[in-house]
Amino acid sequence: MEKNILEVRGLAKNYPGVAALKGIDLDIRHNTVHCIVGENGAGKSTFIKILTCAETRSSGEILFNGKEFKPRSIREAMDLGISTLFQELNVVNQLTVEENLILGREPNRYGVIQRSDPSGKVFQLMKEFASDISLKKKVAQLSFAEKQVIEIVKAIAVDASLLIMDEPTAAVSENETKRLFAIIRSLKKKNITVIYISHILDDIFTIGDVVTVFRDGEIVGTKNVTDIDRDELIRMMIGKVTVDKYVPRPVDYQKKVLEVNNLTTHKLKNVNFNLYKGEILGFYGLRGAGKTEIALALFGLDRVLSGDIRIEGKSVLFDLPRDSMLSGISMVPEERLTEGLIMKLPVRLNISITNLKVLSHLGVVRSQEDREVAKKYVDVMNIKVKHIEQKVATLSGGNQQKVVVSKYLHAGSNILMMDEPTRGVDIGAKEEIHRIIRSLAEKGKSIIVFSSEYPEIFNLCDRIYLLRDGQIVKEIKNQEADPEEILYIITRGKRTNYEN
Amino acid sequence: MKIKLSSGFLQKMVIFGVLLLIIIVLSFLSKSFLTVTNLNNVTRQVAFVVITGCAVTPLMISGNFDLSIGSVLGLTGMLSALFVTQSIPLWFSIILSTLVGSAIGLLNGLMVIKLRIPSIIATLGTMYAARGLALVISGGNSIHMGLGKNFTLLGRGYLGGIPIIFIIMFLTIFLFYFIESKTILGRYTFAIGGNKRTALLSGINVGSIIILLYFLVGTLTGFSGTLMASRLGVGQAMVGSGFEFDVIVAVVLGGTSIEGGEGSIFGMLIGAFIVGFIANGLNLMGIHSFYQSIVKGVVLVGAVLLDQKLKGRIAD
Repeated sequence: MEKNILEVRGLAKNYPGVAALKGIDLDIRHNTVHCIVGENGAGKSTFIKILTCAETRSSGEILFNGKEFKPRSIREAMDLGISTLFQELNVVNQLTVEENLILGREPNRYGVIQRSDPSGKVFQLMKEFASDISLKKKVAQLSFAEKQVIEIVKAIAVDASLLIMDEPTAAVSENETKRLFAIIRSLKKKNITVIYISHILDDIFTIGDVVTVFRDGEIVGTKNVTDIDRDELIRMMIGKVTVDKYVPRPVDYQKKVLEVNNLTTHKLKNVNFNLYKGEILGFYGLRGAGKTEIALALFGLDRVLSGDIRIEGKSVLFDLPRDSMLSGISMVPEERLTEGLIMKLPVRLNISITNLKVLSHLGVVRSQEDREVAKKYVDVMNIKVKHIEQKVATLSGGNQQKVVVSKYLHAGSNILMMDEPTRGVDIGAKEEIHRIIRSLAEKGKSIIVFSSEYPEIFNLCDRIYLLRDGQIVKEIKNQEADPEEILYIITRGKRTNYEN
Repeated sequence: MKIKLSSGFLQKMVIFGVLLLIIIVLSFLSKSFLTVTNLNNVTRQVAFVVITGCAVTPLMISGNFDLSIGSVLGLTGMLSALFVTQSIPLWFSIILSTLVGSAIGLLNGLMVIKLRIPSIIATLGTMYAARGLALVISGGNSIHMGLGKNFTLLGRGYLGGIPIIFIIMFLTIFLFYFIESKTILGRYTFAIGGNKRTALLSGINVGSIIILLYFLVGTLTGFSGTLMASRLGVGQAMVGSGFEFDVIVAVVLGGTSIEGGEGSIFGMLIGAFIVGFIANGLNLMGIHSFYQSIVKGVVLVGAVLLDQKLKGRIAD
């Protein structure tokens, strides 16, 4: 029996109103590449944040090499032997490779930096992993993957025995992915355990030894990679596919309300799509695939470089969200705390802010109607508040999200975009928000849902566009959806090329 | 039983309590403090801070800053006197000087929004430029000849036994209290200061609103400048140096958060009187103005500290 380097028991993390981790148990075996997969919001990143001390746990315990692991800072976690390669790299672009490698540990005498010993461990490792990168080069001139190498070298030079990699291949070319995998293999020879987080199933079958699937803050299962095939892994990730919840609805495909032609922004390439009256349209893709960017372009927040947006046949151009809203498009933003709500203000003021015109005369707000609007939405949306003057900061995540949805309903637009409409809310609130979306469509509104949660898209949407790298790669009708094929498409996977 | 109190209300009561405490202490320390003449005097001094503060409060609630108001006050006051000596009718010279203030406010707003210069830097620039302009135009000289008898009417005159400047102050307070509590502009001000991004995504034209708030500050400051010149009976380029800090201190004492999103006209009014009474009390006790400056600084930091402690306790 091999030893476990990390043992997690009953680890839980509760945010107000949401349980991000519901008491997970997990063993990481010594000297393995242990992959963690799961959709956004499944709890992977919360788990990593607790390991790296970016978040505190609500309960549970972690044993590292058999000893209680409770660091008080990222630095302390590193000193204990757990290092992390984050998606945002921690290198200093203005310095050279050499200066970066010894950053924070410069050999010095009374604060004056001395010449570093070229036979030092960090330089040896650098030579071993990437002898082609010159030490004198400015880091700004390196590729993302080369910067990654610098970070990995720095991490293991300080005697890390566990290295966490968060989506390391998400922004890396194919060739450089090969080098990364070679490095990971040689880490194993150096007795370093790797926790490898990724959406990309190819990576897992290429480099992984063990895979654990997270879903909804729980662990679905842990398998040896050799004991599992791709189809089974996908089934574990998406859970019981609840496509049957989708009830086909009559959509009038004669009435086009929105037409987007060749939309190009800094992130999007020639995006074409149509939206019809009473339709719920979905955009599905991984994080970074371009979902949010489509919403931003249609809401006057990202500059449209070329292309044409038509509402009811009329060509429109937006500089500000205000322009979009005047043309009848609203967006429920992705981040409810920083974009959706004003935390210092009460529920009432948060709701009516999007459309004070209908509640006012010559710029003076009619306070009676203002209160009635807030009460109406608290009622319709079933928002749990003591009174409408309660500050939104004191509400649970689900109720906060309902306030955000309410304020954009109050805007009265015919087209409503919703970016991750139920991220981080509990299952009850999720179902309520879905019910509201369906009833809006029945009333003739057109809804666009942007989501990286598979069940959300396929429970709700009549039609789905699949996105990858800022482009639409496929359009499908809900009834024709094959979840496994869809996952292959959005994760750039082809069924055959994962066997190395 | 738990009493429901909004933190804003509690905070206003605390600052009001501080004001009362100061009044009580001072009336014991000095016999001449609680007299009609003295209170009239204090109110006259405070009126300028309050009138300008009425526009500065919403600006600071929106999360912006204006350091140029002291210089603008000096410039417009000097101009109103200069215009009169150039045989421009008094009423028209008041309007013209006020408009100069509006123009500088507009310029501040445009720099902050269109050129994206941080508000402290942009208004620091206009602070120096406006003072310099006032000195250049007046040649550094006081303008007090040929102003005519009516020049001092607004600053020193009475209407129905009440100083005109009090009436102007009350009208301004009323107007801006109304804007703050009843209008779309007031709502947008709090929304922008509370979370600029959310305000933008809520369909608010954030840039235009901030420019408008700067414009209002410039306008009221311009008008205060003419009032000040009228009260002093002289146009002088160096008038109002340090005035911006008197106003900012009053606004901050009144509970307006430096980060924006919170604050009130009512609080600013109390803050202005706290500053006014402290200065006045120290004067009556014959304490040198050098010390008054120290006291002002201590009171400001102390009050903000108290405010933060209170908010922390309420949040828990």
